[in-house]
Amino acid sequence: MKKSILFMMLSSLLLASCVDGGGDEQPTDESGNKIVKIMFHVDKNSSEGKAYQKLISDFNTEYEDQKIKAAATFKARTAGGADYEQQLIALQIDNDLPDIITFDAPNCASYADADLLYDVTNDFTQEEKDDFLSLNTYQGKIYGLPIQESSAGFFYNKRIFADAGINVSSYTVENPWTFDQFKDVCSKLKARGVTPVDMRLDATNDETATYLLYPFIYAAGGSFVSSDGLTATGYFNSDKSKVGFQFFKDLVDASYTSYAIGATDFFTGKVGMYLSSGWTIPDLDNKFPEQFPNRDSWGLLPYPKLETRASATGSWSYAITNNGVKDKSCALELLKWMSSASSSTTITNATGMIPCRKSCVTNYAPGSPESVLLNQLAQTGKERPVTVGYPQFTTSFSDVIYKLRTTNDISATVDAAANELQSELDKR
Amino acid sequence: MFSKNILLVSALIILAVFVAIFVIVVILDIKKAKRLQQKYTWKRTLTALLFLLPACILAYFFVLLPIIYSLAYSFTNYKLLKPNQIEFIGFDNFILAFKEMFNKDQKLSRAVLNTLYFVVLVVPLQIGLALLLALFCNAKMKGNTIFKVCFFTPVVISLSVTSYLWKQILSPSESGMFNSILGLFNIPAKDLLNDPKTTMPTIVFISAWQGCGYQMLIFLSALTGIRKDLYEAARLDGCNAWHRFWKVTVPGLRPTVLYVLVTVFIGACRIMVQPMLMVGYHDNSVTLSYFMYEQGFSNQLVGYSSAIALLMTIIVGTITLLQRKLLGGKK
Repeated sequence: MKKSILFMMLSSLLLASCVDGGGDEQPTDESGNKIVKIMFHVDKNSSEGKAYQKLISDFNTEYEDQKIKAAATFKARTAGGADYEQQLIALQIDNDLPDIITFDAPNCASYADADLLYDVTNDFTQEEKDDFLSLNTYQGKIYGLPIQESSAGFFYNKRIFADAGINVSSYTVENPWTFDQFKDVCSKLKARGVTPVDMRLDATNDETATYLLYPFIYAAGGSFVSSDGLTATGYFNSDKSKVGFQFFKDLVDASYTSYAIGATDFFTGKVGMYLSSGWTIPDLDNKFPEQFPNRDSWGLLPYPKLETRASATGSWSYAITNNGVKDKSCALELLKWMSSASSSTTITNATGMIPCRKSCVTNYAPGSPESVLLNQLAQTGKERPVTVGYPQFTTSFSDVIYKLRTTNDISATVDAAANELQSELDKR
Repeated sequence: MFSKNILLVSALIILAVFVAIFVIVVILDIKKAKRLQQKYTWKRTLTALLFLLPACILAYFFVLLPIIYSLAYSFTNYKLLKPNQIEFIGFDNFILAFKEMFNKDQKLSRAVLNTLYFVVLVVPLQIGLALLLALFCNAKMKGNTIFKVCFFTPVVISLSVTSYLWKQILSPSESGMFNSILGLFNIPAKDLLNDPKTTMPTIVFISAWQGCGYQMLIFLSALTGIRKDLYEAARLDGCNAWHRFWKVTVPGLRPTVLYVLVTVFIGACRIMVQPMLMVGYHDNSVTLSYFMYEQGFSNQLVGYSSAIALLMTIIVGTITLLQRKLLGGKK
């Protein structure tokens, strides 16, 4: 009988340990320092991770007298970031969220809707807000501040372009090429015997294809969801959106791009253009000296336009969490420190990405790839749709891209994807 | 509040079940002792229970609790990011699941069809291959051990690794080995994993290749257990090799076939890793488990995902019981 009682006690203890809750006050260490926890999505030994460590170390030195201490944890994400997000969800369920997290910008709406993020709208002055190139908002409130910014464009091989007699010097951010001019360049490259462009159509298993390709739909005058983020039919499959999707289909049908382009084909001179983000710049600078010995051997073109100009934006951001700690003053101090112009410069120096604040001092040469990305971001950047059903959106978008190779009726394919997305949004 | 209630109720239900089993066992023991005119001792029962305790605790936390949770969540609108806002919604998740199952434009209907297609093809193929390999390895010839190791090797390699390797082998780009070989014979490159017509057959082939080594070992063990004198008697009776296989080997393997059939069937119904890693979440590759995973984790709809899990458990369980009934009857 004693054993049975012991068993019941053991079960009760284990169950009790499962329903642990968080405290209201900022926890302190044995020296009385208020500990602010922050979680990053990168490996702490990566260049980006080291930059974060430096910022945290500087913060702890600066705030030593105020008895505030930042404690960082690093949960490196893999491709797509889904595992990082699942860890975040696990911490949310366990009521063990750190005070500040980093998160992928498109998730802002679903996190804010779930009351996971703290509203910082009134904690920053208008001047500070205006200094950011973009902010993570949901229903008019600010929930996140970008760590850095990103944009994408078409990296091109200048030697191949010269051989094909293509001159793209007039295509600038202010006056970009059109969809037709884009096809014309592809046609000349194809005639020259090279694969014209790697549109990353194969990258539908994570966020890559969505991130790189969604601006084409906006450029065609289309959209994805209603302003409340809950209606897809009539937006995702509007006539103008279909024009954008048809553009991809035309490229596939004309063999201007394909799903069978190898990961290094552009870098080895088999492909004329490569749609990618700023993270490709260090690779071109350092890894392929035979094909790209210097910056004169490659260039960067902006996104083409149709009805309007649009380009990719959005990277990872910081946010304060609703983790049960009521006084957010310490977390706000750390957030302001991490998102300052100086910190943004430190991070972008390590990553090669674009700073997220206008006040960051950049010394990009006019016409350089970095300045193309920065100008494009400031002038034509358009964020991915803000919806609590963002995961469902990206699944539907990727599905259309995946089906371009087999469908003969892009309109029907987009309609089916819109209906499926709508039924998923209805479940929210 | 709802999740804590579930925790409490489920813990109580399971404890009640354990206590009920304990009481029944004790009553049966007392009756047995009376029938045999022996003295009943508590010590014996307690000793047995103590031995069972570790297994019971493990089963409680890793089997029973998740099942009860899944059952309870399937009647709620539980969203992963909103663990404190769970509401009871009755059969709504099941009604939605049935609606999507019979709507050909929905992923769930594709998932059901793909899973059915996979199960129908992979079960006989994998078992057949395993039996063939077992018969091959059972034959007395040199180098048998090498063959056994070769056939079993895919089983010990992680599914993720083999999936990645096959993805590379079948890649439509120039780096794909399969298409490079086709290129030598001027055959146009084929994208076997992404062409809707060939996606599932390719996954079936890869899965059967990966899994058959394990069933081969089970068959091999069963083959060595068939008495040799039965073969000698059959030979004396003038049976040829085919008749000996059909009249001696097959009946001897019957219990093993049933076991292999049930395990391969259940494993096939849970197919997820290969389509997930080699193709992605698309109409031509989505399976029931994959759909369940996407709904639960990516779309964060735990309630709906749990309802799908429950439906899947009922369907697989029913078919498994039918298999046992139909194939396990004759001795």
